[in-house]
Amino acid sequence: MLGVDIGGTFTDVVAVRDGRITVTKVASLPSNPADPVVEGARRLGVEGSTLFNHASTAGLNAVITRQLPKVAFLGTDGFRDILTKARLWRPLDAQTDASWRRSFGDSGRPLIPRYLRRGVIERVLADGTVMTALDEDQARRQLEVLGRCAVEGIAICLLNSYVNRRHEERLRELTQEVLGDVPVSISAETSPLAKEYARASTAVIDVMMKLMFTSYAGELDERLRELGFGGALNFADCAATLMPWRDALEQPFRIVFAGPAAGTTSSARLGEALGERELICCDVGGTSTDVSLVQGGRPFVNDTFSLEHDLIINALSTEISSVGAGGGSIVSISATGDVLVGPQSAGADPGPACYGRGGEAPTITDACLLMGILDPDGFAGGEMHLDAARSLAAFEALESRLDVHERIAYAYRIAVHNIAEEVTNVAVRHGVDLRDFALVAYGAAGPMLLPAALEQLRVKRIVIPPHPGLFSALGLLSTDLVYYDSQSAYMLLMPDAAPRIAEMFEAMEARLRSRVAAGADGVVVARSFDGRLYGQSWETPLVAVEDGPITAATVAAMIASFHEEYERRYGNRFEAVPVQGVTYRVQLIVPIDKVDFSSVPEGSSAGEPARQRIRTLSYFEAEPLEAPEYDRATLGAGAQVAGPAIISEGLSTTLVCPGQLATVGRLGEISIEAVSGA
Amino acid sequence: MHSFPRPQERHLAAQRTPAEGSCPECGSAELADYRVLSEGGWWDVRKCGRCLHSLSREPAPPFGSYTPLGLEI
Repeated sequence: MLGVDIGGTFTDVVAVRDGRITVTKVASLPSNPADPVVEGARRLGVEGSTLFNHASTAGLNAVITRQLPKVAFLGTDGFRDILTKARLWRPLDAQTDASWRRSFGDSGRPLIPRYLRRGVIERVLADGTVMTALDEDQARRQLEVLGRCAVEGIAICLLNSYVNRRHEERLRELTQEVLGDVPVSISAETSPLAKEYARASTAVIDVMMKLMFTSYAGELDERLRELGFGGALNFADCAATLMPWRDALEQPFRIVFAGPAAGTTSSARLGEALGERELICCDVGGTSTDVSLVQGGRPFVNDTFSLEHDLIINALSTEISSVGAGGGSIVSISATGDVLVGPQSAGADPGPACYGRGGEAPTITDACLLMGILDPDGFAGGEMHLDAARSLAAFEALESRLDVHERIAYAYRIAVHNIAEEVTNVAVRHGVDLRDFALVAYGAAGPMLLPAALEQLRVKRIVIPPHPGLFSALGLLSTDLVYYDSQSAYMLLMPDAAPRIAEMFEAMEARLRSRVAAGADGVVVARSFDGRLYGQSWETPLVAVEDGPITAATVAAMIASFHEEYERRYGNRFEAVPVQGVTYRVQLIVPIDKVDFSSVPEGSSAGEPARQRIRTLSYFEAEPLEAPEYDRATLGAGAQVAGPAIISEGLSTTLVCPGQLATVGRLGEISIEAVSGA
Repeated sequence: MHSFPRPQERHLAAQRTPAEGSCPECGSAELADYRVLSEGGWWDVRKCGRCLHSLSREPAPPFGSYTPLGLEI
């Protein structure tokens, strides 16, 4: 099986065959994204593979850079500006700044310029009754204008269409009459949920992704088959669940940002194998650290995803917080003389100063090299030599009153503290106690930075998974096919609501089952709802609904589950307040082959593991420390390494700090804990 | 005392002044100058009446055509 993760700079392709993992990196090519994917597949070989799982951040990058197709928006007359108003949320630092504007507002960089947003005379009330019939002649005139503007696709979102979609469907027919076969997304199909802004933005992103991905996906499937691939091509969504590519293209807004969630999925799967259900996941890459939470064995999934501030889509997505601290984060000196780390990054090109590719600014990778954590001849599996003299020159060139040794030591500590601060923020936001959690450290730079944060974070332990540099990509091979549908209906959860809730769940389940291939084994149906305390204006998403017929007893159980979930998310409960159901969701989960975290052999119980050599670690204490270096491949299950020590492997380096003990677990994971009394 | 009767038209539209030239996008000669209110304030625009391409967009007075107390701002 293969997984491909298309990033802005590189396209990573990982293959798992007979338990052996191979990986290749190809430079991404935005003008023809299929080329690097096919090249990576060709290098690793796809013949005989059963799965090709695909994740891409191309959709998000297109939105951020506004490299978007020319799309028009049709809304209810008088409401064409809902896309610009959004939810009227302002960021904290803009509360008193009158000049602040949304990045996607008309005076900024609108997704759809105002002249392509047209009003259509019609009005459906909140109960679904028609107050004003659709004025078809006026709608045709608007469509003729859009035709003259040569739009490539149309997004349609009318008020209250989630309870009555007739006008949207008729408008789609009119669009096809007037404009021919252009892609159209109607909000009642893409996201039949309450709140028109999120419905509208989801429909807009949906039609844009249709235009971006339809021909690409078809071409990719064809070219992979030419290489001999005979398996299933699946696309990952914002929660790292998979869909067959043709199904993904029916609701492509779901795949606008796939990739980062895969690391969280991978962590949850490793945690399940280890019996750890409470995890903080830290993916330390070149530019940033992505922090996410797994609670009770489940990733924290939200019902909306923000592409930019207040630019949301109604897609299930794993909640991930980012901080600009990674291996490539640039070290600088502020105007007041402080050492700063990030958020600017040297990226892959030119990269850190020690790469010798023209980068002159010092980075965290340079600091780690000078501290002795990185081996200049062992970086990236020995394929790249790091030049410590360039790193030192870069730190010396900083304008600072600190001596160069202090600059290096402080840069490393600040990077570690920045990450620790973000982890703490995530924990506080969710009201969890980090002492109950294990921290999974992955990404190429995670194992060399995060063990130093153990003292600040006080987590139970730090877990370095097998293949930490590839751990996110492996997440693409750790997940199931998931089909989902949702429907909004505001109703107080009372016993007499049971028949209507049952009707909605049954209709959605029937629709989803019709999409799943006949004979699929082990299909699991998961039902949930988004609810709120009566009087609230926001929902608590994804409250579990028990299996079986929906009866008055089920409704009572839904209320109990709501209070449980509310407490899990927000730390308190209000059982005296009635609960209102808002959105009802069904997931159909179809198990597929997944990567297996295979066990590693027991290590020799006699004596210590074999050391490769002794390395010198600088700047941890007043005097340099002698640290033995071990090859991770030689450490069997049960092997223990006391810090200070270095554990090396092809694509990453694990630091065991003084006062810490690293133990290799049965799945090859390295567990780092503070030694009591140290 | 002023009285402002309810407009008879369903939609009010800015008065458009035909302009010389042709649209660089679609070649149409249906160019017009008029004032629009958009995020960021009032703008004097020259647009193509056929494909709505904007040929120019200049900031207009902050209150548009309204002059408070008859004062030019």
